[in-house]
This record gives sequence, C-alpha cells and structure tokens, in this order.
Amino acid sequence: MGGERKSPLRILSRFRTIRGAMIFSYMAITLVALLIFLLFSLNYTERTILENSESYTIQLVEQVNGDIDSYISYMENIMDIVTNNPELSDYLFDRMEHIMMRERIQEQFVTLMDARSDICNIAVFAKNGRTLINRGTDTRNPYVDLASMPWYQDTMEAEGKAVISASHVQNAIEGKYQWVITLSKGLLNPETHEVDGIFFVDMNYSSIQELCTNVNLGSKSYLFIVGKKGKIIYHPKQQLLYSGMKTELIDEVLENGTGNFLTSQNGRRQLYSVFKSDKTGWSVVGVSDVLEFMKNRSEIQFFYLLIALCLGVLSLLLALWLSGEITKPVKELEQSMKNVQKGEFDKALISPEGCNEITSLTHSFNIMTEKIQNLMAENVREQKQKRKSELQALQAQINPHFLYNTLDSIIWMAESGKNEEVVQMTSALAKLLRQSISNEDEIVTVEREIEYTRNYLAIQKLRYRDQLEYIIDIDEEVLHRKIVKLVIQPLVENAIYHGIKYLDGKGMILILGEIRDGKVVITIRDNGVGMDEETLKHILEKKPEPKEKQRKKTSHVGVYNVQNRLQLYYGKEYGLVYESMPGMGTGVSVIIPAEEGEES
Amino acid sequence: MKNNGKYIVGLIILILVLVLGAGIIIVNRSSTARRIQVVYIPKARDDANDFWTSLLKGAQMAANEYDVDLTILAPDSEQDFEAQVRYIDEAIAMNPNAILLSPSSKSEITEAANRIVVAGIRLVLIDSELDQNLQSIVVETDNVAAGRKMGEFILAHLPENPVIGVVSHVKSSSTALERYQGLCEGLGDEKEHIVGTVYCDSNYEKAYNRTKTLLEEHPDINILVGLNEYSAIGAGKAVRDLGLSDSILMVGFDSSIEEVQMLEEGVFNAIVVQKPFNMGYLGVENTVLLLRGEILPEMVDSGSELITKENMYTDENQKFLFPFLD
Repeated sequence: MGGERKSPLRILSRFRTIRGAMIFSYMAITLVALLIFLLFSLNYTERTILENSESYTIQLVEQVNGDIDSYISYMENIMDIVTNNPELSDYLFDRMEHIMMRERIQEQFVTLMDARSDICNIAVFAKNGRTLINRGTDTRNPYVDLASMPWYQDTMEAEGKAVISASHVQNAIEGKYQWVITLSKGLLNPETHEVDGIFFVDMNYSSIQELCTNVNLGSKSYLFIVGKKGKIIYHPKQQLLYSGMKTELIDEVLENGTGNFLTSQNGRRQLYSVFKSDKTGWSVVGVSDVLEFMKNRSEIQFFYLLIALCLGVLSLLLALWLSGEITKPVKELEQSMKNVQKGEFDKALISPEGCNEITSLTHSFNIMTEKIQNLMAENVREQKQKRKSELQALQAQINPHFLYNTLDSIIWMAESGKNEEVVQMTSALAKLLRQSISNEDEIVTVEREIEYTRNYLAIQKLRYRDQLEYIIDIDEEVLHRKIVKLVIQPLVENAIYHGIKYLDGKGMILILGEIRDGKVVITIRDNGVGMDEETLKHILEKKPEPKEKQRKKTSHVGVYNVQNRLQLYYGKEYGLVYESMPGMGTGVSVIIPAEEGEES
Repeated sequence: MKNNGKYIVGLIILILVLVLGAGIIIVNRSSTARRIQVVYIPKARDDANDFWTSLLKGAQMAANEYDVDLTILAPDSEQDFEAQVRYIDEAIAMNPNAILLSPSSKSEITEAANRIVVAGIRLVLIDSELDQNLQSIVVETDNVAAGRKMGEFILAHLPENPVIGVVSHVKSSSTALERYQGLCEGLGDEKEHIVGTVYCDSNYEKAYNRTKTLLEEHPDINILVGLNEYSAIGAGKAVRDLGLSDSILMVGFDSSIEEVQMLEEGVFNAIVVQKPFNMGYLGVENTVLLLRGEILPEMVDSGSELITKENMYTDENQKFLFPFLD
C-alpha cells in the first residue's frame, strides 16, 4: 500500500478513493458545462424577449398612431365640410348678416355635435364679430382675448391651412373650461383675401387619452404623445411633468424619430418606442419597463434552472454508476492485494475481463502472486534443508571429539591391562555410535534419548572413575514422549566439561524427568563450580568468545544449538532454562510440550 | 460501497427537492409580501370638490407607480369629525403599513390619531396638521409660504391708503393661522393696515354675508384677501354684487371654475393655488420612502403657485387650475 503518497499537485491524492476523484471530475466538468450553457441560454432568452417586446411595442405604437391619424382625418373631413360650404363665407363676410344662412349653418353644427359626442366645441369667429358657436346657446367668453392664445396665433399664421393644437384648456366659450385639442383653420375673406375669421373644432381631450390608455402595454408602461415643437399633447403623468416631479426624455424622442431606444433612469431600464406621424407631426411614444417584459424571464430562468438541476442529478447518478463500474476491477485488485498481504494466496487469484490497463495489471499481479507463492514455498523448503544440515553439522561436531577422547581412554586402559573396563567402555561406545548412526529421525522418544545419554555417561564414568557419579530418574509417563534428538547428551556433556571437571571432589549428575503443567520438563543438575550471574545471562546466546576458544566453543555452541533447535521445533515459549550460582552447581531444564510418541 | 452510493444519491435528491421547494415558497411569498398596504383618510370625498378629487388622483398615481395597495376611507363632509375618527379605528383594524390622514380638525382627531401611533402604524399627515406631533412626516402646502406670496403680491400692487380686510375659514385651523401668518410676513409693515378678519367656517353663504358686513363696517377697505376657496368665492361674489370689483384689490386662495371665472373677469387680481395632485402624489411617495427606511425631512412642501389673469393659460398653470378630472 505504499502507493498513496501525499503530493499537493496531484488531484487524485486529495481523494480517498479513485472513485471519489472520478465523481468529482465528472461533476466538475458537467457543472461547468451546464453553467456556461445556462448563462448563454439565459442571455439569449433575455435578448429574444427584448427583441420581441421591441417589435411588439413599436407595432402597438404604430397602431395608436394610425388610430390618431384616422381620428384627426375624420375631424379634418368634418372641418372641410363646414369650411368648404360657400354659405359660411357668405354669411361671415357679406356686408349683410343673413339670418337664414346662420340658421342653416347652426343646424349643421347641431347635427355634427349630435353625431359626435367627442366634439366639445365647434365654432366660427369672424373678426367682424359674427360668431357661430355650438348649438347657438353658448356665448363667447367676454373676458378672454383670443389673440393671446397660442393655438389662435398659430392658426392665423398658417394662412388658411389646418392647424392642430397641443392639449390645452379651451377658454373661448363662457362657463366652459375643458381640456381639448383644437383643430382650426383660418378663414379667408374672399374680398380682402385676408384671414378674417377662424373655424375650430375642439376634440375632447379624453378621446385622445382613451386611444392611448386603451392600449395594453403593461402596468408599468405608458404611452405619450409629443407635438412637433416638443409640447406634450398627452402624457398620463402630465401633472407630474409640469410640477417638475418627473421628467420625460422629450429631446431624445424628437432626436431619434421613429424607432426604438433603450434608456436607464433611476436604475430602471426603459424601452422607448417612437412613431412619428407625417400627418400630425406628433410622435406617439410607448415607454415600457424592460423589467416587465422580463417578468416571464424569472419563470424561464426557473425552468432552465430546474432542467439544469435535473441534468445535474442525472449526471451525478451516471457518474456514480460509471465510476463504480470502472473502479470495480481496481477494487477487486485491491482486495486481492490485501489477501496477499495477509498471506491468503488461495484467495488472491482473480480473473481479469477485457483488455485494458487494469486487466493487464491484474494479469501481471496474478503472475507475480504465483511467483511469490513459488518463491515462498522454495524458501520454506530451503529453511527446512538448512535446519537439517545444521543438525547434521551438530551431530558431526560432537562425534569426532568425543570419539577421540574415548578411544584415548581405551588405549590407556588397555595399556594398564584393565581388560574388563576396556570391554565395558568399548561396548558402551559401540552402543552410542550405533544409536547415533542408526537413526536418521530427528524426533525420538525420551526413552531413547535417555538411553543414549546413559551410554555416554557410562563412558564418561569409566574415564573419570570415581570422580563422576550420576542418577537418572525419569517418570514412566515421560519416557514415551517425543523429543528432538541430541538434546540431553550435549547438556550433560556441558555439565561435565564446565561444571564437574574443575571440581576437586566427586562430581554428581542428576537427570530428572517429569510432566509439569502439561509440559515435559527434563532437568540436568550438577554439583559443579556453577556460574556467576554474568555468565548465566549469556549462556543461551550465540557468542563465541575470542579467549579460551577451543574449550568454550564446544560448550557454548552446544548449548546454543540445543536451545535453537528446541525453539525452532516447539516455538519461543519452549527451550532451556538455566539456574546456577558460583560454587552451588548448575541446573538446566529442558521444557518441551508433552507430545505422545509412537514407537515405530 | 454500492449501498452507500444509493444512500448518497437519495440524500442528494432529497436535498435538491427541499431546496427547490423552499425556493418556490420564498419566491411566492416575497412577491405577495412586497406590496405595501396604505390607508388614506381624507377630509372628504366630494366629486364637486376639485381639491380632494385631484389629491386622490395624485395619491392613486403614486400608489400605482410604487405598487402600493391604497385604500381610501373618506367622510362625506369636511366637518364630520366623528366619521373620520370612526374611519381611523377601521383603518387601524386593517393593520396597514401606514395610515395617511388629512385631519379635519386640529384637536378633535388627535386622540384617534394617537391610537394609530400606539398600534405601531406609521402616521403620515397630508394637507393639515394636528395639535400634537404624532406623525412621522407631514406633506402639505407650506401655508406660510403660500400666504407670503399673497402678501408679496399685495405689496407689489399696493394702492394708496391701503386698508386690508381678511376673509378666513375656520378660526382654529392650522391652515387659516399659517396662511394669515404668511400674509402678514409678505405684507411686512403694511400688515398694520389689516382692519378686520371674518371667519366663514368654510361656507359660501357665510363668507358672502360676513364679507358684506365687513365691507359695510369698513367701507374704506381696498384690499381683500380670501384664505380658502369658500372664503374667496364668498368674498368675490360679495364684491362683485356690491360693484366694487374695480376698486378693490382681491387675492383669493385655491381654484375652482367659479374662481377662475372671477379671475378672468377681473374680480380677483390673483389667486394662490395649491397643488393637490402633487400633495397626494408626494404623500404616498414619501410614505413608501419612509417605509423603506429612508430618512426624510419631517415636513414636505407640495408647493403653491400665484396665478394672475396674464399667466393663467400657460402650459404649467392651466394644469393647476384645471386638473384632469374624469
């Protein structure tokens, strides 16, 4: 598992799993794409809405303009009917006032007023004082000087052409103050060829207002009409404009002419749609709040957002599934590696599918696992071999040394003519040799091991005569237990060469065998010189000391070998336990598990 | 891992659904909760009275522009205090964001107005004030300034041996007091020539009669001032009937068809008009700004204009004299 090394530059290292990294990457890509798409489509929607609204508004404005034009045309027709009547000029400018003519014209006025409720006033004023007003019941406002009124001045200046006024209060008729738009025409006196009279029709202001307010632009939008000179004909907030509480972009409207333009006032974006009439010279202006068109935008935005969310969820699901599928072989590989780690080689093999990187990785892993398995088996075999050869080496180590000494003793005894002893020693040696040669098994019964030791002790006793005594007392049940070969004899040898050899008096070796707490305990005790604490501590270590090489080597190597073999065979909790004090002798216990042996 | 994955997906979907739901609820709520609720109680609603009709038009236009739900509770008569008190309590029960009030009396309404403030509703006064400062703001004609315009006009056209008579409306009303004060300020030292003040209680007939009485008592009066529409019309008729139009310099207040005719006729030399449309508009507009937490001056002047025969038909002035009424 050494692969997860922290590296700040690698994306993968920030995630606990490859799958996590994959999901993250998928989602990052998807979200970025979605976001960009969302932004573009929202922007596009906004533009489309704006464009549609522009064309819609200009259409409306054009329509209103058309309505107004046709309305004015209609009024002009009425005016023409009246003014083209030769009786009118006859009546106004003739030297004599013809009452009959007056009544006929008056009747015409009444008819017109009956037909059109939107006509407030219809009148002719001649400079000579002859007047005709409405139904004949109204009179001129005696306190008003018409010549000071802008609409009157304009009409007089137009020299007989039709003039349309801005919205104003008509004060020419007594007791009537109405907001009107006046259509007027100067009347030529056929005799003087001068404008000596005026005809006018007052159109109710509210009829124009109606034309403008009937249009459905939206609650925050409105229509207004501005005249040629920038005078406001109609504006829903006229009152506010004149009070200076609101301003209108009249200059911009006149400058732009027919078409659309966008403005931003007090943080509100507004669309101005202007249509200028050739007939009246008026500009009909539709002002609409851009935000109001965009009302639907929030719905569309919401809808887009919803779709984006759905797509996001969908891609998350896909990412989860796909990443799961892709990382599945990696997971399997990981699990298999964990098994190998635990040493469970049988569970390690997995069958790769397909032919991608992970498959080849799996394949390589399989081969590797197999090789490791083989190597390990080989290793075990080698270890066993090694141990066996170590044992053989140990056996080989003991035999020649001892053999030489024994043969030396035999020679010595033969020279002294001690035949009986020569026989005894030679037969013991023969038994010993047979025992060591005959059996190749590593494990023997305790009985056999003791027998071997007994033969060895017999030889040694003969060699050392009265210097050595021994007692062997092994419990009956211990005899049949199994033990590693050549354990007790080296220990006894050790006791003789290092304990008893340096003793002045008689040496004593005691071999006891019993089962204690389910373990076989065989103790070899001597009454030799003993060991100090320091020596005791190191007795079980493999440490050949440079001094006294010859002597100590056999003993120490022997004890170490015994301990090593015991522990190799039975585990670390078994082996040798030494106890000793200088001058008090030494005891060593062989502790091995109590295994029932079968004599073959 | 597979199970885990399923849990995570479930969780994510759940969260998304919750967020969406919450979003929809918030959007819906905010769109309905954004509208401001305002009640306006004028002194009276009377189609024949241009002043109130115009004021209500202005208020409605501002309400439309600022997305305000405007409810109007109007007594039939300007003198009906009880009706106004009743409407105030009715308005409090509606629990609006603000109550706009044009108190018909300086003192009789105060107690009821206090209940508005106690209920935690913003009080905005329009046109007239109370004898206690309970309101957040007051939108009105600066009556002192309007009075001053009258005084200054008189001063500019002062005849020889000026003798001034004043026809006022209601003695205790703030408008009467302030216009009088402004008149005196405008007249400067000439104010000592004011020989008499009569009150008409906003009644044409009383104004007519008391003016006649005043002119009989002080036949040397050559300047006459009417401090509201009732006073001005009553006084104007009296002067016309007595045939004194040419010898008396008359200044009226407010406008009506009759008053305009008298101005054209020459009975009035000038009239000072208020801007009721602006007053209504500014009243609602400032209420909205107030509710939005903006800091505003305590008094908002809706303005006044002195109009003479010469300038009455200019674009600006004809709007003040003849409001659109449909």
